[in-house]
Amino acid sequence: MTILDINNISIDFPTSKGVVHAVSNFSLSVPQGRRVGFIGESGSGKTTTALAAMRMLAAPGYVSEGEIHLHSLGDTNVLKLSDDEMRRVRLKKIAYIPQGAMNSLNPVMRIENQIWDGIVAHEGRVEQGELERRSRTVLESVGLPASVGQLYPHELSGGMKQRVCIAIGVCLKPDLLIADEPTSALDVITQRQVMQTLREVQETIGAGLILIGHDMGLMAQSVDDLAVMKLGKLVEYGTVRQIIEDPQHGYTRQLISSVPLVGGESFIKSAPAVLRGEAGPLLEFDRVTKRYGEITALHPLSFSLDGEQPKIISVVGQSGSGKSTMGSLMLGFTAPSEGRVTFRGKDINRLSTQDSLTFRKDVQAVFQDPYACFNPFYRVDHALSFPFKRFGLSKGSAHTRKAMEDACHAVGLDPTLVLRRYPHQLSGGQRQRLIVARALMLSPKLLIADEPVSMVDASLRATILKNIHDLKDKHGISILYITHDLATAYHVSDYVMVLYHGRVVEAGPPKEVIGAPQHPYTRLLIDSIPWPDLDRDWGSAEEAQKGLEALAEGKAADTVFRGDIPGFDLSVRA
Amino acid sequence: MIRIPASYLGNRIVTLVLTIFIAATLIWIIPRLSPVDPAEIALGRMAAGAGTVGNSEEILAQLRSRLGIDQPWIVQYVRYLWGVVQFDFGLSTANFPTPVSALIANALPWTLGLMLISITITFFIGNLLGALMVWEHSPKLVKVAIPAAMVLTSIPPILSALLLMWIFSAKLQLFPLTGAYGLTVEPGWTWDFVQSVLYHGFLPALSIVVVTFGFWALGMRGLMIGVQGEDYTTLAKAKGLRPRYILYRYMIRNAILPQITAFALKIGMLIAGQVLVERIFAYNGMGKLLYDAILDQDFPVIQGVSFVIILMTALSVFIVDLIYPLIDPRIRHGK
Repeated sequence: MTILDINNISIDFPTSKGVVHAVSNFSLSVPQGRRVGFIGESGSGKTTTALAAMRMLAAPGYVSEGEIHLHSLGDTNVLKLSDDEMRRVRLKKIAYIPQGAMNSLNPVMRIENQIWDGIVAHEGRVEQGELERRSRTVLESVGLPASVGQLYPHELSGGMKQRVCIAIGVCLKPDLLIADEPTSALDVITQRQVMQTLREVQETIGAGLILIGHDMGLMAQSVDDLAVMKLGKLVEYGTVRQIIEDPQHGYTRQLISSVPLVGGESFIKSAPAVLRGEAGPLLEFDRVTKRYGEITALHPLSFSLDGEQPKIISVVGQSGSGKSTMGSLMLGFTAPSEGRVTFRGKDINRLSTQDSLTFRKDVQAVFQDPYACFNPFYRVDHALSFPFKRFGLSKGSAHTRKAMEDACHAVGLDPTLVLRRYPHQLSGGQRQRLIVARALMLSPKLLIADEPVSMVDASLRATILKNIHDLKDKHGISILYITHDLATAYHVSDYVMVLYHGRVVEAGPPKEVIGAPQHPYTRLLIDSIPWPDLDRDWGSAEEAQKGLEALAEGKAADTVFRGDIPGFDLSVRA
Repeated sequence: MIRIPASYLGNRIVTLVLTIFIAATLIWIIPRLSPVDPAEIALGRMAAGAGTVGNSEEILAQLRSRLGIDQPWIVQYVRYLWGVVQFDFGLSTANFPTPVSALIANALPWTLGLMLISITITFFIGNLLGALMVWEHSPKLVKVAIPAAMVLTSIPPILSALLLMWIFSAKLQLFPLTGAYGLTVEPGWTWDFVQSVLYHGFLPALSIVVVTFGFWALGMRGLMIGVQGEDYTTLAKAKGLRPRYILYRYMIRNAILPQITAFALKIGMLIAGQVLVERIFAYNGMGKLLYDAILDQDFPVIQGVSFVIILMTALSVFIVDLIYPLIDPRIRHGK
C-alpha cells in the first residue's frame, strides 16, 4: 500500500537572475513501512523535494507543477490544502527529523515541553499525567532515560539531541518520517546507534521513511529503495541492492566509488617525496597533559615527529576523544596543563615575538568549516595574498600573483575563475581547496588539518585529500590529519593514533591499526562504519551500546603498539 | 527555582560595590577639575540678591568652611564618601541650605514614575512590533512600521516633545502644557490627584515612547531574523504547531534575551535622556533638577543626581545578572 505519491513535480526558485529549476519532473511513491533513500550531492534537490511534501519550501521556492498525494487523507493533494489543514498534517501524518539536531531544539524549553507541545497542537488539551506518560514512553523508545525530559537541550550530547528529535517525530505515530541527514553531524559510533534506533522505531510504528543523505554506505545499511538525484532530476531509482550491485547511471557509479573503503591499496598513488624537509625533530610533545577543570581531555602523551622525511600522521577518534584538543595544543591555541609542546626545539608557549611569527608561518592549519574560514568582505585574492605579504614572502605584486596562481594550480583550481571572486560565490569544496592553497603559499613545515573534509561532498573528499597528500609528496610538508573518518585515515596516512577519552589506545601504520584492529575501541570504530555492501551486517543499536559500555568498564586499557615507522616516535608513558 | 551560590552572589556584590565606588569617586573628581569656586558662586548669588556684600572675604571663608572645601582634599574625599553611604550629598548651593538628598527625594518619584511607565510601554510595543516585522503571518501593514520606526528613532526627544505639545496642547487643547499635576489639586493618594498625574504625565511619556520604541523594534527585528533562520523554528513549524504559539514560545522567547540586558542598561541612561523632556514640560523630576543644577553650577546636586543614575544602572544590571539564569537556562551562575 502506498502512503505518499509524488507525481511529476517541479520546484522553481525565482531569483533576480531568472528562475532556478531546483527539481524537475520528479515522481516517486513511498509504500507503507518501506524505507526510501534520497541520495545526491548538496544542491541536487533531495531536501527540497522532501520539504515540498510538507509544504515547507524556503521562500521564494514553489511547486510549479505536479501533485503530491497523501493516501491517509483520502488521496488529497497536499498542495491544495489550506494552511491550517496543512499544519494538521505535519507531525500527525508526516514528521520531519531535521539535519541540524544540534540546533533543532528550542534552547529555553525543557525536552518534555517540546514533546508535549507537538501532542497538544494536534490533539487539543491532554491531561498532564497522560502527557508525562507519553513523553516517557517515547523517550524510552529511542533509548533515552525518561529523566531526559526534565533537561534542557544544552545539557544533552549531539547523539541524544538527535534521538530527542526522533522521539518528537514518532510521538504521534505518523504515516511517513522524513529524516534529513539525521546523522551527518555525528561520529561513526553515534551514527550507528542513532540510525539503528531510527530504523527500530520506524518499524515499530510501521511508518514509511524517507532518508536523505549523501553517504552511499549509510544508505546501503539503512534503506530498502534508493532514489539517486542529480541537479534536480531523478537519475536512477530501484532497490538498494539493484543500485549498489548494478548501477546503471554514471553518476551512481561515481557516488559508490567515492566511498573510501578500508582495505587494499591506498586510492592515493604515493610518489616518493621529491622534497625533503628539515632534519631534526619538528614537533614534539613532552608529557603533554590537558585538563579542563575536573575533566582530563588529554592524558600524558609524548611523541616526536622528525621533519626530514615528510609524513602524514593521523589522529582518529570520536567527538570528545581529545583529538581537537591535540590540534589546538599543537597550534599553541591552548597551553598544556602539564608538559611541553616544542616546535623545532622551542617551547611554543614561550616564544619571542620574532619566533612566534616564524612559528605561525611554519605551522599552518586547515579547519573543518570552509564557510567560516574566509572573511566574507574580501575577495579570494586578498585572502590568499594577505598572509603571503605579511610574512614578508612577497617580492612585488607580480611575484605574489605568480605564487597565488601556482598555489591554485597545485590544488586543481583555475586561478582565473576563483581569484577575483568573493568567498560566498564559491562552493564548499572550492573554498576548502583555497584554504589548502593559502597554507601552501607560505611553504610551511607542518600542516594541522582538523577534519578538513567532513563538511564537503563525498565526491570531492578524495580530491581534497589528494591535494593535502600532495603537500607532503611535492612540497615536503609534514601533516597531522585529525579526523573521525577511519577510511580516509587508512588511505592517506603513514601512521595512525587512535584516541579514546584522551588516551592513545592503538597506534601504528594504518594497514595494521585500521586494516586489522586489535584494540576493542578501534574495532568498534571500524564496525560502526556503514559499508556500501549489503551483505555486511552493521549490527544493532544495542550491540553498539554494549560495545561502548564494555569499553567504559575496562578503563585505562593499555596502548596497543602496532609497529613503528622511521621518524616518528610515540611513547605514552607519563 | 535556581539557587544562587553564595560565592557567585558575593562576587557580584563586590563588583556592584566596586562599580559604585569608582563612579562615586569619578563624580567627585570631575567637578574639582573645574576652576570654578563654589563659594564664589554662592557669594555672587548673594551679591546679586542684595546688591552689594561687605566683608566678602569673611563670608567667603565662612562659606568655604560650611561647604567643607577649606579642608585638605583627602578629608573632603573621605567625608564625601561617608556622606554618599548615607545618601548625604551635602547642601545645594543654589537652594542653600536645602540638603541635596531632600531635592532628590522630591524629584525621584516623579522621574521614576514617568520613566518606568514610558520605558515599559516602549519596551513592549517596540519588541512586539519588531517581532511582527519579521513574522510571516503578520498583517501587511506592519511592514510600514519599519521606515516609520527608523524615522521616529532619529528624532531627538526634545523635538517630539515640542511637536506633541503643539498638536495636543496648543492646537487641540487635549492635554495640559506643563507641570506634573494640576495646580488646583492637593498632592496625596486621592483619585483626583492620581487622575491629574496621569493626565499630566501622558504627553511627556508619549514623547519618550514615540522616539524610543524604534530602538527596540529595529533591534528586535534583527534578532528575530536570526531566530527565524534557526533550525528550532523550522522544526517547530514541521511539528505543526500553531503559528502564534511558535511566535511567542519559540521566536520571541529566544529573541528577547539580549533585549533584556539592553533594557537594564537603558534604565540609567533614560534619566539623562529625559532631561530635556522634563525641562520642556516643566515636569519636576530628576531631569529638571539636573538641568537647573547645571545652569546654576550647583555641584552637590549634579553629584547627587549623577550618583543616583549610576546607582540605578548598576543595580538594574546586578538584578538582571541574578535573574538571567531564570530566563535563559543555558546560563548558569559561575562557580
